[in-house]
Amino acid sequence: MPITYAMMKQATADLYSWSLRKVPDDTKAALARARDAESNPVAQRTLDIMLKSAIAAETSDRFVCSDSGVPVYSIGLGTRITMDGDIKQAVVDGFAELVETIRPPLLKHVTNPLTNERGYHGKDMPLITWDVIGGADYVDITCQPKALGSGRWAALEIFSFPSLARIEEYVMECVLKAGSQHCPPVVIGVGIGGTFDHCAKLAKLATMRPMGSRNPEPVVAAMEERLLRATNLTGFGPMGTGGDTTALAVHVEYASGHGFTPVAVAFNCWINRRTRARLYDDGRVERVE
Amino acid sequence: MKRLTLPASREAIRELRAGDMVLLDGEITITAGLPTIQRLVECANGTRELPQALEGAALFHLGSYSQETASGGLEILYMNPTTSTRFNPLMPGLIRHFSLCMVGGKGGLDAACAAAMAEVGCVYLSFLGGGAELHTSAIREVVSVHWSDLVAHYRLVTLRVEGLGPLTVGIDAHGKSLYADLHDAAARRMPEILAGLAAARGD
Repeated sequence: MPITYAMMKQATADLYSWSLRKVPDDTKAALARARDAESNPVAQRTLDIMLKSAIAAETSDRFVCSDSGVPVYSIGLGTRITMDGDIKQAVVDGFAELVETIRPPLLKHVTNPLTNERGYHGKDMPLITWDVIGGADYVDITCQPKALGSGRWAALEIFSFPSLARIEEYVMECVLKAGSQHCPPVVIGVGIGGTFDHCAKLAKLATMRPMGSRNPEPVVAAMEERLLRATNLTGFGPMGTGGDTTALAVHVEYASGHGFTPVAVAFNCWINRRTRARLYDDGRVERVE
Repeated sequence: MKRLTLPASREAIRELRAGDMVLLDGEITITAGLPTIQRLVECANGTRELPQALEGAALFHLGSYSQETASGGLEILYMNPTTSTRFNPLMPGLIRHFSLCMVGGKGGLDAACAAAMAEVGCVYLSFLGGGAELHTSAIREVVSVHWSDLVAHYRLVTLRVEGLGPLTVGIDAHGKSLYADLHDAAARRMPEILAGLAAARGD
């Protein structure tokens, strides 16, 4: 039984709608741990309100944030699936239908970068990254709507044979520049190596990892722990009004490259929007997150 | 937690200190649009007609979804803050011209804005980003919606709210800014933070 156009259209539209209404469970748990560890009274209160907001949106089935961002998908195609229909067009059609039917309605956030006009449709929208998953009999879809609030602070710089010290210093430069702006506490995704585009993709994939999971390579895992501690020493705190919790997690991914080494840094705001499902070759749809 | 009713006296505004948390009752005016803020600058310059009085108002960088109800009224389905620093260059003129008593959104405003705020007696309030359901639940009445030619979140919307917040005073009317202080402190601390990273690496 193939993965069909109809399955893809429904699943991608549902994932976007769900992502707007629920803060992921791992993120709520991390916020609660941060609340317990916070020493700053304003930060404690702010984290309390964040958790209250997350629960209120989930309970009432309404949006956590009015800015629904733009739909961003990371889609992995298993090599053992078969397909029936244009599953790429299905994502476009699913979003087009969703904006007409979703309740409450979405604000118009899709922006033409040449005119700054905003609407529900635009070139290359939704934004999709396609990958291939060796041996899998499913399509793995993650939806991460992205908006200006945290999106504008992502950065990439290309170095030549940088030391670990220089890489970490650059990450901290990005943390300082973003400061109070990106609705902290954030999840920070860091990509190192590859090429310009590959590195940016690694940073995005890093933000998708389960909260606080560690890279399997000890050298990278140690870097993640160091950078998290360092970020939280800056003191920007929840909503950037001070506190011990500026980041909930730092995830680092790397790829080999050629010595011109890009370093990319991406931020997800505290609501860390992320939903994920798998469509199986036998017709099953499994919601993973 | 302090509770203020709008319009608030300048004395009450000046009593607020950076880091205080407040609840608001009364009328607020909101928009999330740069074109809207640009129009307000035109109003201040006398090249566009101001659709409503803003003297001494609370003007917040909040976006909302407004729509007509079946009975011909207006309702707000949800509202939430946007990044205020986007409006940094335009806000000092508006704060001074309209003697705004409160501005707000998320992320704060810059030193030039803080200086204008201190002159007129105005505070910046930080709203929870991702707080749509909580903020929206404080709306009691849609007073007016202007510039409906713009997309919903850019419109100039005036609301009557009850118990809006808690909101954090990010910049007070005495020029103290949590944002500037935290940035300066982090920048000062950065050499020490980098030294800590080096030590942890075993450099």
